[in-house]
Amino acid sequence: MINSIMQLLVSGLAMGFIYSLVAIEYTLIWNTTGLLNFSHDKLITLGAYVFVGSYSLHLGLPIPLAIVCSLLTLWVFGALMALVIFIPLRKKTSTLFAIMGTILVGKIIVEGIRLLYGTFPMKLTGFLAGTVHIGGTAIATAYIATIFVSILLVAALQFFLHYTKAGKAIRCVSQNQKAASLMGINVNKSIMVTTGISAAICCVIGIMITPIFTTDLNMSNMIGLKGFSAGVVGGFGYLPGAIVGGLIIGIVENLAISILPSVYKDVVSFALLILFLLIRPSGILGKKA
Amino acid sequence: MLHTIKQHNKVAYLILIFAIIAIVPFIINDDYFISVMNQALINGVVVLGLNFITGLTGQMNLGTGGIFALGAYVSALFNVALGLPAWVGLAGAVLMGFLIGMCLGYPSLRIRGVYLSLTTIGFTEIVRLLLNNLVGITGGTQGVQGIAPFRIFSFAVQGHRSNYYFILALLVILSWVSYRIVHSKWGRALKALRDNPDAAESLGINISSVKIMAFTLAAIYGCIGGSLYVHMTGYVNPSMFTIDLSIKYVIMLMVGGIGLVRGNIIGALIVTLLPEALRFMGDYYQLVFYIIVLLGAIFLPDGWLSIVGVLKEKIFTGNSKGKAAKT
Repeated sequence: MINSIMQLLVSGLAMGFIYSLVAIEYTLIWNTTGLLNFSHDKLITLGAYVFVGSYSLHLGLPIPLAIVCSLLTLWVFGALMALVIFIPLRKKTSTLFAIMGTILVGKIIVEGIRLLYGTFPMKLTGFLAGTVHIGGTAIATAYIATIFVSILLVAALQFFLHYTKAGKAIRCVSQNQKAASLMGINVNKSIMVTTGISAAICCVIGIMITPIFTTDLNMSNMIGLKGFSAGVVGGFGYLPGAIVGGLIIGIVENLAISILPSVYKDVVSFALLILFLLIRPSGILGKKA
Repeated sequence: MLHTIKQHNKVAYLILIFAIIAIVPFIINDDYFISVMNQALINGVVVLGLNFITGLTGQMNLGTGGIFALGAYVSALFNVALGLPAWVGLAGAVLMGFLIGMCLGYPSLRIRGVYLSLTTIGFTEIVRLLLNNLVGITGGTQGVQGIAPFRIFSFAVQGHRSNYYFILALLVILSWVSYRIVHSKWGRALKALRDNPDAAESLGINISSVKIMAFTLAAIYGCIGGSLYVHMTGYVNPSMFTIDLSIKYVIMLMVGGIGLVRGNIIGALIVTLLPEALRFMGDYYQLVFYIIVLLGAIFLPDGWLSIVGVLKEKIFTGNSKGKAAKT
């Protein structure tokens, strides 16, 4: 009993960190552009495909090099996406077109992936496979790696946002675009950098979930949606809130398995999403709107 | 005077569209084409409903997939599990739409913009997961089979052609209702809500009741669409009711031109038929389709048909900032 709860807790923590990263990744874009990136789950899929399909299986690069190459590829892709799509969409007054714009971008990315890599699922065998035994509890290596990488990534992101010039510029843009541009910050360049970082985080998520899921076209649909729940539960548009929300969703939905039938695992996070929007739209850590 | 002429023009457009749809089966005598047209007409019903909430009040509703699914299942289960005729199923679906409208309309009073899209996405996902997992009631992934068709006295609405005219007749009635609502005090209140909620409230419009009404209308139309769909196909399973379905309905709304009754029907027709027209592109058609829709969203926000107006103004006045006529 205790063993199984430990296992659920660790897997919940690992999935929770993944949801946190998802929430962080779209919160960055939301804060700088005011657009909710509905194509983010497709970017995660793209990251996984670029890593598994192109760099590992096709080119046969060693895994560390493949990871670096995929991150760079997605970074460039994200920056270009900002330049071509997000910056023009930002000027649309109607939220309808902004939302549909990002949704359609996601559709286009998925169709692109389907045409490039085909519909067959891929699997990178041996990457973060196996289990680790801690005090008699078997825990998948992938989960432990996920927890460590997420903590590192969050720390690195905080450092970047608070102690580098580019990071400070991003924070300025997210607080007040007009004032930022008056202070000589290139707003569009900041948006490109942010979207690039966001896409790179998507790639990290994609790489981390390849051992947990098979790499196919629908691998990240659920993760993407639950990332939204995480953001709302923690406090929308607030980075610490994104982390807390992700962890709560991950742990709650994993512990719910021990009470509810496991098929309702996915319902839990959406129920939390609607509940929070109705009762406390600002989330746990968010300020009152 | 000018106003009434414009009004007549709009009705004339609608009648023209329906007249063309009515004679299509005589020109193109192909069962497969007519079955796709049936789907397009049902989509037309759903988009007419979506127009109230997303088109007129500008609230992004991505829950149409869930609404359609609930309407479809209520109607199917009334028929298969309780043995009631299809018309009672349709009435049940309308009631279901009314309930959904109340349940989704209430949250929309407090939340708007992307938050509402997230709520409605959550709603669609919950509906899909429940339909998949409440095996005892919904049959799970197997779905519900053997749903009886509609009956008009002793005549069963079966086969592509009878369904075509049956659905078309309902679509004509529903678009007439929709047209009357859009051009009534209610319709203007909805538009006022989109453009400036504060001003609308100061003019004595009860925002809450108007918003809930818009949601209820959208849900009722969506559920009617679902009911028509199951009695046409005789079979339903949860696999099609994803968020992609909701997105497709919003695309239809955008393609046709937001807020226009005739635009809703044209959008439903274009989006449902275009994959057939683009079939020669093979694997690439979806990619091409989405790119066209994205370009349309950026350059033709008033719908694809507004390209005529934009070009006209460009050619005749040389004005590059030409704007198409709005309702």
